[in-house]
Amino acid sequence: MNRDLNNITGRVWRFGNDIDTDQIIQGQYLRLLDYSEMAKHTFEIPRPVFASKVKKNDVIVAGRNFGGGSSREEAPKVLLELGVGCVVAESFARIFYRNGFNVGLPLLIVPNVAKLVQDGDVVTVNLMEGTLSIKGKGDVLHGKPLPERMLRLLSAGGAVEWYKQHRRT
Amino acid sequence: MGMTIAEKILAFHTMDGKATAGEIVEANVDLLMVHEVLGSRILPILDEMGFKKVWDPERVVIFNDHWAPASDIDSAEIHRRNRNFAREQEIPHFCDVECGISHQVIPEKGLVAPGELVVGSDSHTTTYGALNVFSTGLAATDSALILATGKNWFRVPESVRIEVRGDIKSPVMSKDLILKILSDLGPDGANYQSLEFTGSTIDGMQVSERMTMCNMAVEAGAKAAPMRVNRYVESWMKGFAPSKKWIPVEPDEDATYVDHRVYDIDEEPIEPMVAVPDNPTNGRVAQEVEGVPIDQAFIGSCTNGRISDLEVAARILRGKKVRDGVRLIITPASRLTYMVALEKGLIDIFMRAGGIVTNSTCGACVGGHLGVLGAGEVCISSSNRNFRGRMGHQDSRIYLASPATVAASALRGVITDPRGIES
Repeated sequence: MNRDLNNITGRVWRFGNDIDTDQIIQGQYLRLLDYSEMAKHTFEIPRPVFASKVKKNDVIVAGRNFGGGSSREEAPKVLLELGVGCVVAESFARIFYRNGFNVGLPLLIVPNVAKLVQDGDVVTVNLMEGTLSIKGKGDVLHGKPLPERMLRLLSAGGAVEWYKQHRRT
Repeated sequence: MGMTIAEKILAFHTMDGKATAGEIVEANVDLLMVHEVLGSRILPILDEMGFKKVWDPERVVIFNDHWAPASDIDSAEIHRRNRNFAREQEIPHFCDVECGISHQVIPEKGLVAPGELVVGSDSHTTTYGALNVFSTGLAATDSALILATGKNWFRVPESVRIEVRGDIKSPVMSKDLILKILSDLGPDGANYQSLEFTGSTIDGMQVSERMTMCNMAVEAGAKAAPMRVNRYVESWMKGFAPSKKWIPVEPDEDATYVDHRVYDIDEEPIEPMVAVPDNPTNGRVAQEVEGVPIDQAFIGSCTNGRISDLEVAARILRGKKVRDGVRLIITPASRLTYMVALEKGLIDIFMRAGGIVTNSTCGACVGGHLGVLGAGEVCISSSNRNFRGRMGHQDSRIYLASPATVAASALRGVITDPRGIES
């Protein structure tokens, strides 16, 4: 994985509170075996243009409880598939949080972020410092530094890569 | 310092026998359940890992339950992969499309026991909390790691004690109680936490009623919902798992809880509840939403598709007819549930009332098949989630309620408080 954990810069796609896993990717698409096909339906309900317009390293900003509901790992996977650089939210649902780091999608918790960042802002996320800065505004928002374990997973490129590097043979 | 049920069960499964809320521990898993996500997502991950052999074939159970039998070519391929994997890995507990829903079948097969640590590739794995189990949902990558090693890391959750006292009076059901509790907690009110339901109401509940509550604990974000053993759990274990050895896990009197909520339902009775779109925590008293017209009524799922649920519905539907223009779909939770319902004459009642009885599967609940909703349609459902688009078209709407309320609504064609229906 070549992601620069100090500098993820992209356009903001802003969402509200309680974006559940069916809003990210509906259950009816889980049978699709090809992630690139599935990813075309990402955020189909709340933001139908997202999948066709999102660009590499764009940043999702959301309110509380992002990713609640199903355990489906397809939710962070389709975001990764579309090139999303990072999800910054006020809080994450438990399983989504774990899944994100497992598949190598960076997640950062920043209080009040959905109130302070606008849709379309260009932001830079620094995961090592846990900050988000808004281009042209000079504002730097401080989030929770990533737990050591999550940083290790991201640096390795996800849980599978981490496992391969640390497996006792 | 005293320990909660969650801390005790996790501690039993760590190397050093310790687990305190907030810590991250590595724990050995007693049972891993995987369903269609094995064929669709886990197998490619196992290939990438260079996986050869399951750590312990006896401790893995595989289900084809979400789209059973296959609803299209993709699900057929997923099912085929699961069958092959079970055979190649010599996994004895393989439940193919005829079995029913994992969260009902696993306890029926006696595969879980009090005090165990169980993981499933499904968020509703919290259901086994009804049997004093610490059970939680993880997804594909974590399941793959467990298949290879038998263990994983867990953050030991803080616990919230929810004490419920008093009698629930028919036709009010444990579903109404959990919808009420969820409406108080909100969608992230128990995120990362273990919900310990306790008190005389919970002590007096049958296993099926408890399972409904533990099943939906995840709708407030809970990681697990282990209840104390009661006499119904004891008799369940005698009946379904006579050879399993287990000891009940009790919380210490001085255990630490981050919150303690009390519901005295003799003082303030629980009424029939309906969760309005689009979140399970949007609970309202049923009377407030009476009269909303429905297209479909669904009784089934890992939340409320059990024999006691079907009995309640049958009492309301006996000798009556479902309203013209309404589809009543009944999906027994397991093959055993279906067969008992047949013996008790419940299937006959449903068919004569104009209902459609399907085979046992997750089916309509996940918008998979056997009851998918079209644009603008409204469903009242005994299942667990009413997220937008969950059961089909993104412009369909789902109201969650007890089997009693769903059955009553099917008769009238509008959302109906079951207390207003003679049975």
